[in-house]
Amino acid sequence: MDKNEMQRQARAVIAELSDHEASNLEPSMDLVADLGFDSPKALQLLVTLEERLDIEISDDDAAKLDSVGDIDAYLAAL
Amino acid sequence: MSTTLPNVLTRVALDHPDRGITVFDGRGRRGERRTYAELLDTVRTAAGRWAALGIRPGDRVIVALNTSWPLLEAWLGAVWLGALPVALAPGGAVGGGEAHIKRLAGLVQRLGPTTVLTSPRFATEAETLANDHPEIAESLRTAAARARAAAPFAETPAASVEAATPHPDDIAFLQLTSGSTGHPRAVMIPHRTVIHNNNASAGAIGAPRGGSVFDTADSVVAWLPLNHDMGLVGCLFMALMGGLELVLLPPTAFLARPQTWLRELGRNGRVFSPAPNFGYQLCVERLATDDPVLADLDLAGWDNAMTGAEMIRPETIEAFQHRFAGAGFRPEAFRPCYGLAEGTLAVTFDIQGRGARWRPSPSGEDVVSVGEPIADTRIEIRKPDGGVCPDGAVGEVCVSGPSVFAGYWNDPEATAESLRDGWLHTGDLGFLHDGELYLTGRLKDLLIIRGHNVMPHELEWLAESVVGGGGALRSGAFTIDGGGQGEQAVVVVEVATDLDRLADADHEIRKRIGRELSLTVADVAFVRRGRIPKTTSGKVKRRELRQRYLDGALDRLI
Repeated sequence: MDKNEMQRQARAVIAELSDHEASNLEPSMDLVADLGFDSPKALQLLVTLEERLDIEISDDDAAKLDSVGDIDAYLAAL
Repeated sequence: MSTTLPNVLTRVALDHPDRGITVFDGRGRRGERRTYAELLDTVRTAAGRWAALGIRPGDRVIVALNTSWPLLEAWLGAVWLGALPVALAPGGAVGGGEAHIKRLAGLVQRLGPTTVLTSPRFATEAETLANDHPEIAESLRTAAARARAAAPFAETPAASVEAATPHPDDIAFLQLTSGSTGHPRAVMIPHRTVIHNNNASAGAIGAPRGGSVFDTADSVVAWLPLNHDMGLVGCLFMALMGGLELVLLPPTAFLARPQTWLRELGRNGRVFSPAPNFGYQLCVERLATDDPVLADLDLAGWDNAMTGAEMIRPETIEAFQHRFAGAGFRPEAFRPCYGLAEGTLAVTFDIQGRGARWRPSPSGEDVVSVGEPIADTRIEIRKPDGGVCPDGAVGEVCVSGPSVFAGYWNDPEATAESLRDGWLHTGDLGFLHDGELYLTGRLKDLLIIRGHNVMPHELEWLAESVVGGGGALRSGAFTIDGGGQGEQAVVVVEVATDLDRLADADHEIRKRIGRELSLTVADVAFVRRGRIPKTTSGKVKRRELRQRYLDGALDRLI
């Protein structure tokens, strides 16, 4: 899976779990404040991303994912 | 019979050498099992490592790690040595790194000389944060200097140490009452109270089958963290004292996929497993009626599903019973209970095993019975003047008995407020009916969200830091009833700013509260300066504010 495809799929997961349209997601959007990810939902997001993208996100890396843009950047740097 | 935790560890290794503990990874995919005989060896070694690092009996050690073998070894190793372990929630799963660092630094300051076992990145991140926050730089640098990472700890050559031989009245560990950035209180728990609370709980849970649950259960399945009293005392110690098999899932594994918990409940014989109400609610929300996962579940061996640590919701009980009946869940498996860190854990249980039952409170809403006091324990419902309330009248729940804690660490003022004439004043409100306790609310302005305690000022400080009131503009935080969703946080904020900037402030407040406290806010309401009711001394009247909010009488701007 190339980076663009990973980012596209990640957006689809974020959209699905937050009940937003993928096309409306902006990099600046905050997972908690804008998209309503409380901690159980944030973990669901993490595990779903790992499964769909076949990656493992360490706890330390996960702690730094605050926004849609952070997830884009994390995937780009893999 | 064991009278101290080192006795318990020795006993379980001798009596049940082949039973043991399986600890799963953070995603609940792989488990690593060790027998109790092996556990005793690793605990001795960990005690030797603490000793080699200069830790002596009575020293505090903070262990801020996810549920894992390194956490169990370090925590129990400290107990073996006679040091006082303090389990702290590790940083948030997504975001929240900075808040965790500040919280840990605050705790180090409060507990005095301590050693911290945490993530390898902690020390450098705390140093970096210290450069940006001169006001708390000193405590951050102190915490950084005291921090040790788990991996090098595991390679420290162990000194040879003898097991501590504490008196049963000596303090065994400290339990934090909230993961707060403000004023976490460390509850002192003596060995004697742990032993009492677990034996009394085992009797209460096992009563419907005519004995201690230690004799009728095979295993405990747990996902609650060990920094939560229900995880530490209600799961780990119950397994160690009863010689039961323990399956330990990190909370992250449960929150990500609740079925991880439900599956383990079907694989371990006669099981007991507790959760706060929100845990049951999460299962119902994530697993729809047509979810294929349901067909693979077998909950027939789940004899005791304890529910406590926050308000129990009749709608959650009904939804869970209904959703999982096909998987073999029995309504009488629900065992409502009530407890708090200051009571070591359990205070009351549905001892008769009649499942969750509710009745209307004096103000009309349905409240669930949390049962009767455990052995040797008394409950009184007190009026504000100290008098005892008649049956059915709401007052403060007060508890006396051998499980009541020994006070707060280094906080005689709070201790004196909480422990009066041998009675623990819980701050919880409730009434008695036919000898059973019903909880209706709280005397203290405390928010309990997903089973965790949050002080309202923690939300208020963050909200005020956004609008920049500098003390002139105030805010008030409280919770509203979200039905099966549990308590939902609301913050009312005074502003002097232009109306068109409120949307930005709303966003920033949610972001900071989410980041620092790992919780989402249901509503942020802005009002003009002076609209929040206060006492003559300027204290926010949160209860009155909440009532105005509910009545739609706030005069909110947006």
